[in-house]
Amino acid sequence: MKRYRPTYFIGQAFSGLWRNGVMSFASIAVLMSCLVVLGSFTLLVANININLEALGLMNQIVAFVDDDMTEDDISRIEREIKSIPYVGNVTHITESEALDEWIEQVGEYGDLYEQFRDDNPLPDSFVLEYVDGAHYSDIMYNLGRIEGIESIRDERSLANTMQSLKNGIMLIFSWFLIVLFVVSVFVIINTVKLSVYSRKNEIEIMRYVGATGTFISLPFIIEGALIGLTASMLAYIVENFLYDYIQKSMADVVNVIKIIPLSDIRVVLFFGFAAVGIVTGIIGSTISLSKYTRS
Amino acid sequence: MIDFTNVVKTYPNGTVALNGVNLHIDDGEFVFVVGSTGAGKSTLMKLLLREEKATSGTIIVDGTDLSKLSYFKVPQYRRKLGVVFQDFRLFPKKTAYENVAFAMQVVGTPSKKIRRRVPALLNTLSLGDKANCFPNELSGGEQQRVAMARALANNPKILIADEPTGNIDPKMSLEIMNLLVKINKLGKTVLVVTHAKELVDYYQQRVVMIENGHVSDDRVGGMYNK
Repeated sequence: MKRYRPTYFIGQAFSGLWRNGVMSFASIAVLMSCLVVLGSFTLLVANININLEALGLMNQIVAFVDDDMTEDDISRIEREIKSIPYVGNVTHITESEALDEWIEQVGEYGDLYEQFRDDNPLPDSFVLEYVDGAHYSDIMYNLGRIEGIESIRDERSLANTMQSLKNGIMLIFSWFLIVLFVVSVFVIINTVKLSVYSRKNEIEIMRYVGATGTFISLPFIIEGALIGLTASMLAYIVENFLYDYIQKSMADVVNVIKIIPLSDIRVVLFFGFAAVGIVTGIIGSTISLSKYTRS
Repeated sequence: MIDFTNVVKTYPNGTVALNGVNLHIDDGEFVFVVGSTGAGKSTLMKLLLREEKATSGTIIVDGTDLSKLSYFKVPQYRRKLGVVFQDFRLFPKKTAYENVAFAMQVVGTPSKKIRRRVPALLNTLSLGDKANCFPNELSGGEQQRVAMARALANNPKILIADEPTGNIDPKMSLEIMNLLVKINKLGKTVLVVTHAKELVDYYQQRVVMIENGHVSDDRVGGMYNK
């Protein structure tokens, strides 16, 4: 490939894009949509993952005490919990503290629950942190044996729920993505095919005078890569707006869920989109070229 | 220069296009290849251009065995050949100069050499004053001469002309044929595929007749029909 000017190949690629404007636009639009879905899906999974990690770090179990228990019983239960091996901090939350917390969480409608102050339906509870996750089952077993504990809630079951939710989302999106990518590659194949077809005579002459396959193919491969690059840049912009919007909306509504800040993922998103876009474009154009540039 | 030995070409649909062709063309020869439509002339050209591979038999061109030629070496091989088509196949948006220069650009010829060679070629083919004309500003004969200049641009050893006079008037046809003879005298091997009986008869060169996929007649100074 000596003595060939890169400007020739790039110029030809741009002229190909321009010549088949409608198809180029369609390819960019489809690939862009595909990348936005891919980006949203990846970000969703990444956010679920950090939330799952956060839950894992909590290492907390909450044991609710039976309503009928007396003060003495509660003290006994606390002692028994503290004596379970590998249990760290144990915090006693009285029923009135639980109601305070509930009222605070509910916010402006909290006053409605003040009427329960005299006849509080919430039970006393103990929040216990375990030191070693490996002994989780033993701790649960021992807790279950303590008389007066009505129910046990652990964050692990919430983590499991989120994990299955994540798996479900991944399965649905994987199929969705496969279909979208096939469509994207198909549209790019047709766009580049049109471009190749419009230059059929030129390609034939090039072949007869001894141009190499690389010389003939390169402008079309660059054309595919340009489609991919443009789509990925547009997808990046759309994804940025979308994520920013969702992040702001979520911040107003839920405090419990952790959201990865946009600034942390910008670079990865940019290069990820560019890589996927360009590779898809190149794959599409390479497939469409095989028939026409074959010797 | 060109050797066909027992060449058979069968297409995937079962059509036998060439059935045992034996043909030897020496370096610097001028050969007319004639025959009716479907006789196998086009397949012969395709095999020579290495667009198709022979089903059996050997084709050796300037020492290159085409059956053993790898895909990657085909472009290098084709630089030994120059091709002229009936419909000229010039780029309408390029001038005569650019059309010829293009053939040199695609094989990576340095610009300096292109600037030197293209005007010289155009002058040789009496197109010196037409260098900046677009194909639609040229007559059929002039367009074919530009196509010939393009075919000669990379200094090929063999020139293949596929019905070169098919789209031009008789007077211009003679002019084109005279140029092909002139090119042959400059040392190039020239193969002309044609239906133009009167031209074949007029030039009294070697005539190879293809019929039903094989060489039915091969004579020097021969006539189109026996």
